[in-house]
Amino acid sequence: MTKRSQQSMSYGKRILSSAFSGWGARIGLTWVIILAFVACFSPLLANSMPLLASENGQVSMPILSYLTAEDLMLMVLFVVVLLLWKMPLKFSTKAAVASSSALIALLVGLAILSPPKTIIYDQFREKAAAGSYDWQVLPPIPYSPSDYLRDIGGNNSLKAPMVTEKQFHLMGTDSAGSDVASRMIHASRVALSIGFIATGISMIIGIIIGGQMGYFAGRFDMIGMRIVEVFEAIPVLFLLLAFVAFFGRSVYIIMIIIGVTGWSGYARYIRAEFLKLRKQDYVQAAIASGLPLRSILFRHMLPNGIAPVLVVASFGVAAAILTEATLSFLGLGPVEASSWGSMLNEAVKSSVFNWWMAAFPGGAIFLTVFSYNLMGEALRDAVDPQLSRKAGLVT
Amino acid sequence: MSLLQVQDLQTHLNSGGEIVRAVDGVSFSINRGETFCLVGESGSGKSICALSVIQLLPAGIASHPSGSVNFDWRDNEGSGESIKVDLLTLEDEAIRKIRGASIAMIFQEPMTSLNPVFSIGDQIVEAIQLHHPELSDAEAKSQAVEALEQVQIKSAASRFDDYPHQLSGGQRQRVMIAMALACKPDLLIADEPTTALDVTVQAEILSLMRDLQAQKGMAILFITHDFGVVAQMAHQVGVMQNGKLVEQGTTQDVLTNPQHAYTQQLLAAVPENLEKSAVHKADYNQSSPGLMSIAGLKVWFPIRTGLFRRVSDHLKAVDDVDLTIRKGSIMALVGESGCGKTTLGRAILQLEKPTAGSVMLGDQELTGLSTDQLRPIRPRMQIAFQDPQSSLNPRLQIVTTLTEPMKAHGIGESQDERIERAIKVLDQVQLSEDYLWRYPHEFSGGQRQRIGLARALVTNPEFIVCDEITSALDVSVQAEVLQLLLEIRQQRDLTLLFITHNIAVVEYLSDETVVMKAGKVVEQGLTADVCGNPQNPYTQKLLSAVPRLNLSK
Repeated sequence: MTKRSQQSMSYGKRILSSAFSGWGARIGLTWVIILAFVACFSPLLANSMPLLASENGQVSMPILSYLTAEDLMLMVLFVVVLLLWKMPLKFSTKAAVASSSALIALLVGLAILSPPKTIIYDQFREKAAAGSYDWQVLPPIPYSPSDYLRDIGGNNSLKAPMVTEKQFHLMGTDSAGSDVASRMIHASRVALSIGFIATGISMIIGIIIGGQMGYFAGRFDMIGMRIVEVFEAIPVLFLLLAFVAFFGRSVYIIMIIIGVTGWSGYARYIRAEFLKLRKQDYVQAAIASGLPLRSILFRHMLPNGIAPVLVVASFGVAAAILTEATLSFLGLGPVEASSWGSMLNEAVKSSVFNWWMAAFPGGAIFLTVFSYNLMGEALRDAVDPQLSRKAGLVT
Repeated sequence: MSLLQVQDLQTHLNSGGEIVRAVDGVSFSINRGETFCLVGESGSGKSICALSVIQLLPAGIASHPSGSVNFDWRDNEGSGESIKVDLLTLEDEAIRKIRGASIAMIFQEPMTSLNPVFSIGDQIVEAIQLHHPELSDAEAKSQAVEALEQVQIKSAASRFDDYPHQLSGGQRQRVMIAMALACKPDLLIADEPTTALDVTVQAEILSLMRDLQAQKGMAILFITHDFGVVAQMAHQVGVMQNGKLVEQGTTQDVLTNPQHAYTQQLLAAVPENLEKSAVHKADYNQSSPGLMSIAGLKVWFPIRTGLFRRVSDHLKAVDDVDLTIRKGSIMALVGESGCGKTTLGRAILQLEKPTAGSVMLGDQELTGLSTDQLRPIRPRMQIAFQDPQSSLNPRLQIVTTLTEPMKAHGIGESQDERIERAIKVLDQVQLSEDYLWRYPHEFSGGQRQRIGLARALVTNPEFIVCDEITSALDVSVQAEVLQLLLEIRQQRDLTLLFITHNIAVVEYLSDETVVMKAGKVVEQGLTADVCGNPQNPYTQKLLSAVPRLNLSK
């Protein structure tokens, strides 16, 4: 890259390009993108129904009638983000386009899609066996996570991976007889969404409270810091246990609790940055120009102070995933969807140790947390001017 | 026989595959007991040249494709006879013996060049014992105290255990000099040693260096950008431009009869030599009405102590100041660092809340107004800042920086119209319109200062506070910005409060001058009166400390 083109890049782009120039961050990013793809397209990747089937010469897509509005939204979001990736648009425009298209997809999905409450997975295999399909295209993993394969007959539970008897299971089956690979794929959604939503909630709260603490300083700052200290003293895991006991094991409650209790770190960082930025000449100039407070805070100060917060956020995503895994491992995770943590729990509960029940979800948790940490490290190094100015020579 | 002979020195810096010729074929020599001044603008390679001599450049980045630096090395341990060594090819071990003992260096920034966790005495003792391991602790200590006395630190023995933070900037620079001289070097390299200091302190340090040189007969390689300092210090001068030594000779010759075009240009840009335009003088009208009236203005910062953070005392940054700034005039506010001039400037604009007093813009009282009440008045008064690095928001394109204030105050109907206006203002500060779509880091310091000025101008203000806007700039750029300021003032009928510590700029630019000391105004009046015939002893001291170009003085 020539010097000229580097110079005309905006600050954010420079940070990102230097952060993702190392192999560590690239590996992390690759894993997260793979994970995001798997999470968004999980119904198409692992399901019992055929993607395409021809019944008496009539081609249909049986999978469509089982998609939920949520599935549709995630798929649309992924495709839109992929398309926008290289477009020469402003970040704010991109974010607006992505979120509005996701919202539209959700509303459309709610209006036209009506997936049945109970699904009899066996019917597709029976149909196929009876030869009523001329041909069919099955997903790569032809089992739903809650498909217990009762029609196969015999004891189908706890089969080791890649042992082909009647059915081929890439990662084996669990004690109920459902396919582990399929469960892994569907559980990636919980892991990713917990990470992003919980961190998003704490970041927003942290930025609003920390930003005002830093900007107004003085008494406001003093009171704010005491609130931060109170929140830092809360043991999140025990609070979560208590809430789960009262309000049931919902994934949304877990997200909100992690988010609402975790903002103190972000608030501290933003406060420190804003205290520093407040006296910068360009902020003083903005005040002297009589710009509205909103513009001073969010246009002149936030973009200059956000970098360290993003670093913390990438570690925060990893921490949120771990917290959810811990809860699920303790048997208090969300009931409506399987998660990696609860799969680990099952591995431990069983009387015999089935390695595939522990290795795959454990490995996935490890890789995901590791990836976010790699990206966080790289971002931190890129943001730190002391490290990025490796030459150490100032004339 | 000269002490140091630099011949065809080339220093290449390798950064990211690109080779920068920082020093390109420089030759000069320094005799014992003589001062050689390297002068040039920032980026001309003068510091790199000095660092090449003492071999302090990082080995991985810097290389010397050609040249030699011959030094007459008188080994302190040996018989006292001297050997000629080439510093560029000498081994690390030998260089380390020379560094500190025979060649010492002092740096620009007195705040960072001393280690904050050791007492100043310990740091000097360490330097002495490193080169003279045979000395006992007591002997080394007595030598260190002697060194401190030499640089005229009062009651040196009792200050021996002080830490750097307990000393003022000037004292720290004295300690640095004491440390550098403790081993009695033959050559002292001084890299802008007085740039960060106030003029009165600078005058003291310069005379101290001259005295010590006369006592010890050492040679000094002095790096500076200030021709006034050159005139005071140098026997020989070398002028550097883009890594090349474009002119060298005796100080008298170079300053009075410069041969090279660049030297002539530099000397012409020194504020003392700038020609005042005839219009500028006639413009000032002493009977014009006051635009800004300041009465009894106080900005006190509470000092809180103890468990309950009780206010025990006040730091009186601005203490009871009365000023009237006439419409269309330029008032200069001078004083040394910490005298409260910046705080006063900000307090006038209500960026700092005054403790007491009144500030009137026309008939409008500004103190006591809330943020919302102030907002509509803000466009009438603006500020431009000192540091070109921090005065523009690095994340915003220039177009946003310039149009946002207009939008906030409803100037211009549409964004297109506002951009039109921004282009006009940019044109006024002599920048082209495609600069609008760039980010601040793409500009040089002088360009950024112009953009900062443009931002202040977009709201059509009547009054601008210029807070040291030329202090961080090279002389030639400073001259351009000053001329620009005078032009704009004429076009727009602006009133300026120009805050500076540079007396020469004051004399060139301003109609009236106010001298501040410790928060109080000590003298004010017409610039010609204040600078030509100062009444207050402090003003007299300040003016006499200014290093003048005039050699006959």
